[in-house]
Amino acid sequence: MNILVCIKQVPDSNKVEVDPVTGVLKRNGVESKMNPYDLYAIETALRIKEKQGGSITALTMGPNQAAGIIREAFAMGVDYGVLISDRKFGGADVLATSYTISQGIMKSGEYDLILCGKQTTDGDTAQVGPEVAEWMGIPSLSNVSKIVELKEDSIIVEMDMTHEIEIAEIKYPCLLAVDKDIFIPRLPSYVKKQETKDREITVITLADLDDKEEKHYGLNGSPTQVQRIFPPEVNDHREVWNGDGSELTGRLLHKLKELKFA
Amino acid sequence: MNYKRLDEDDLTIIRSIIKEEERILYAEEINEEYSHDELSDTVSYPDVVVKVISTDEVSEIMKYAYENNIPVTPRGSGTGLVGASVSIEHGIMLDTSLMNRFLELDENNLTITVEPGVLLMELSAYVQDRDLFYPPDPGEKSATIGGNISTNAGGMRAVKYGVTRDYVRGLEVVLPDGKVVEFGGKVVKNSTGYAMKDLMVGSEGTLGIITKATLKLLPLPKKAISLLIPFPTLEKAIRTVPFIIKSKSIPTAIEFMQREVILDAEKYLGKKFPDNSADAYLLLKFDGNSTEEIEKDYANVAQICLEQGAIDILISDTNEREESIWKARGAFLEAIKGSTTYMDEVDVVVPRGSVNEMVEYIHGLYKEVDIRIKSFGHAGDGNLHAYILKDDLNQEEWEEKMKAAMDKIYGKARELSGQVSGEHGIGYAKKSYLMESMDPATVEIMRGIKRAFDPKNILNPHKVCQI
Amino acid sequence: MAKLIINQEKVGNIQELIRICPFGALEEKDNKLQINAACKMCKLCVKKGPQGAIEYIEETVETVDKENWKGIAVYVDHMDGVIHPVTYELIGKAKELAEKINHPVYAVMIGHGIGAQCEELLHYEVDKVYVYDREELERFKMEPYTRVFEDFVGKIKPTAILMGATTVGRQLAPRLAARLKTGLTADCTILDINENTDLVQIRPAFGGNIMAQILTPNHRPQMATVRYKVMNAPTRKDSAGGEIISCDIDSNELTSKVTVLDIIEKEKEQFIEASEVLVVAGRGIKKEEDLAMIKELADLLGGQIACTRPVMEAGWLEAKRQVGLSGRTVRPRLIITCGVSGSVQFTAGMNNSEQIIAINKDENAPIFKTAHYCLVGDLYDIIPDLISKIKESRSVSA
Repeated sequence: MNILVCIKQVPDSNKVEVDPVTGVLKRNGVESKMNPYDLYAIETALRIKEKQGGSITALTMGPNQAAGIIREAFAMGVDYGVLISDRKFGGADVLATSYTISQGIMKSGEYDLILCGKQTTDGDTAQVGPEVAEWMGIPSLSNVSKIVELKEDSIIVEMDMTHEIEIAEIKYPCLLAVDKDIFIPRLPSYVKKQETKDREITVITLADLDDKEEKHYGLNGSPTQVQRIFPPEVNDHREVWNGDGSELTGRLLHKLKELKFA
Repeated sequence: MNYKRLDEDDLTIIRSIIKEEERILYAEEINEEYSHDELSDTVSYPDVVVKVISTDEVSEIMKYAYENNIPVTPRGSGTGLVGASVSIEHGIMLDTSLMNRFLELDENNLTITVEPGVLLMELSAYVQDRDLFYPPDPGEKSATIGGNISTNAGGMRAVKYGVTRDYVRGLEVVLPDGKVVEFGGKVVKNSTGYAMKDLMVGSEGTLGIITKATLKLLPLPKKAISLLIPFPTLEKAIRTVPFIIKSKSIPTAIEFMQREVILDAEKYLGKKFPDNSADAYLLLKFDGNSTEEIEKDYANVAQICLEQGAIDILISDTNEREESIWKARGAFLEAIKGSTTYMDEVDVVVPRGSVNEMVEYIHGLYKEVDIRIKSFGHAGDGNLHAYILKDDLNQEEWEEKMKAAMDKIYGKARELSGQVSGEHGIGYAKKSYLMESMDPATVEIMRGIKRAFDPKNILNPHKVCQI
Repeated sequence: MAKLIINQEKVGNIQELIRICPFGALEEKDNKLQINAACKMCKLCVKKGPQGAIEYIEETVETVDKENWKGIAVYVDHMDGVIHPVTYELIGKAKELAEKINHPVYAVMIGHGIGAQCEELLHYEVDKVYVYDREELERFKMEPYTRVFEDFVGKIKPTAILMGATTVGRQLAPRLAARLKTGLTADCTILDINENTDLVQIRPAFGGNIMAQILTPNHRPQMATVRYKVMNAPTRKDSAGGEIISCDIDSNELTSKVTVLDIIEKEKEQFIEASEVLVVAGRGIKKEEDLAMIKELADLLGGQIACTRPVMEAGWLEAKRQVGLSGRTVRPRLIITCGVSGSVQFTAGMNNSEQIIAINKDENAPIFKTAHYCLVGDLYDIIPDLISKIKESRSVSA
């Protein structure tokens, strides 16, 4: 069983602010970490490997520093690491990112199962996983909340569909986006970290990919463009309502309807 | 004791001092929460609760109480564990929680001056926003700073940073007769006479009322990393602690925990702990200015732990990981509470070198007294929390067995040159154990101090030591 | 084609320029400034750096003929024929956008035995309902649904597609976007449209700490997902309008590598942290039986009952329902506190909730410092009345 886990480096804190006048992003420290949702994907991979054997590869796309999260994946028990990194990949939106990743995956090896987290904490789109699967032409499932059974050529999982749980069988090769809390991710081990500190990480650049056409990557390969960023409105709104019971109830009902809760 | 019971006339005077009716609670207006603190079953209502907002008000109230022999009990958030803020003799309760202003952040002297009602969590957030650090870190974050000073609260970071007393520079205090005095100040050194400020710290509201505090701050360490270290047995874990202390890298915290308490916390929080495969764990925390610096610091300790039989060293280096661990750690008290019908606690402290002996003693004690005991604690500073659980024992059995267990624990602590309380204080509940363990000559000096401050014994009577 | 070019001689102080980049994408190598793979093309370095140091060069791009793409299509989100209400909200928004550019509004419904549902959609001012009704499409399956939607886009060429950010929409939208090689903006909170039919998409990023305005200038269709309860649903018209257009697709194209084995009813969320709506019982609740009305209100609002510490300590509710520092930290979209005074211990566990409504008799109760809507009144007057009013308004609309 060959498992690939897609991971991403994100800022350590979401406490970013935008200067309301200049529209400049004020950064607060440069520490970064692995996207917390990806830890669940790694844990899922490790649990499957414990049962089924095989190997786990962690893959990320980003600057050279992103190798740090691959080292972290090693310390959790992942076997191999792949870093897709090229300046020409900069400025990629969901489409270009997923295309680059799918190209990188196909270059790095053959996998039965690709796992990714539900979403990232910086972009929050939850869309890269399914798009990667589409580029690769393999089936995918999102909201995977439980692994039910591992079979020879397929896997049975539970999906959380908000009001119901769907149990489905999906054939390998496939991509699963796992929910938070599918398993509690283990902590990286110091012992494993020492053991793997010299382990090699495969670096893939544009020159290594099958499709070397620059136009398909980075900003150029991105249909969407960010025009501007601005700070959100803060809810510091405060109203005090006085009056008799039924008057208050009336206003409350009205407000609940306005907020779409009633 | 011959105190005056508060009457309508006294209330009229209090109203003339306080002026705002909503800051005075009388008779039925007094919530049940004012009759007890967080844990102890000591219950007694004050006659009146006064929510003071200034030193002047405190001074006026004290002056009147002193002249009329009315007992006064100060109170912050009421999160104490030994009944120190319960008004045993009724009278006036001075609620300082509205005195919650930040008065001055002095960046030249690295001090902050606050009113006593500022909450610990507000204080740490306030200074943290300015890249500063108030190190004392008691578990109860909604306690007031006045309360923390009054019990000399300790907390998790004591191993490296010390306790509340180490961060109190100066205090404004209203004496029982209403006089306002200042002890200490912003100075770093002080050899000027008796250490009055230090006497106030930990006096549990028996000597004076703190109305202002100047606290020492440190630059904020930029990063913290915890290590969760699984061991095959509690003995192996706890016996590693002295080796860590001997090594020269100092964690901010060294905690120990057992699987059963972790399981309780998992159940209570409805959330799994990152690891529950081992019997016992040490939890260490390191802080510093960068990940690299901290990694260098802990490498040595990690090696020691592995040599002493640790199964692995698990690294917690992000907010999410820290939260998953420390939130569970913070929930231990509530989780244990939730696992039984009633419980009582012991907060002994022993010299750090003896902590393993004390832990192992408590761990084996259930065999001798046949009662469930759970413990966890600050292994690094020798301060242990043991909880004696009532479960389905009847009252008589409970009292008998609880007493037996307490006596044995305090006895063992004395044998190891320990003390009755590490951080919760004596208050009302632990008085008898203090009297048993303290040299009578020392008790006499303490009484003398109490008399010097409060000759009429109107301030928080029946607490710590009695005249 | 667009790229950043560094004119080294104009850079001046390299470190200063490096500090401008919020993504750490500028670095110094051999005394020269370089851009690394972390670049997000935000162009701040162009705007904020020394004049001419970094230039943004845009070459001509292939453009689509926007004239060929007409109409705003809404995906009818449903589960076994039960239409998700986000659909109506999106139809309302689509209508508003379409009017600005004088385009039609389309609804696309994929499923089996959904004739009545399509009729119903005609009461919401849709111009056309395109329906793919086949047995193989009975339940949502990623591959066949993507293929069907692709078929629709190929035939009708809508300029924009709106989908609900539901469990279905969040799978179908990206799959379709990648297949069509077009842009997708997830979880938009505001949508507008320019005269040239460019959809103005605004969405939160970094956990809601910043908002980004996004365009898809050179690709069609433009795709966006929107969360439930963000847009306003139009009122249902008594008369039906528009037409239903039945579409067909070859069975061979509807195969799937996924087999649905079973569907089970989901147990209600057990933990208050996961609930979008919380109704909190505080000390103002006089006796244990009165919790029933708090529970009823919570049920009516699709939420859960929670409590303060004293209520938990009285043994009326389990510890896991307690909000606060010694209990759970919650961040629901709506929290209604009933007879809660609002100690710091409590508010620290809920003050990040999106909408906070507090009911308390005491106008000086500290909870009113935290709440957005402060109802000074007796919960025993308000709650039962509110419950009956909600029920009443439901029976009217049903």
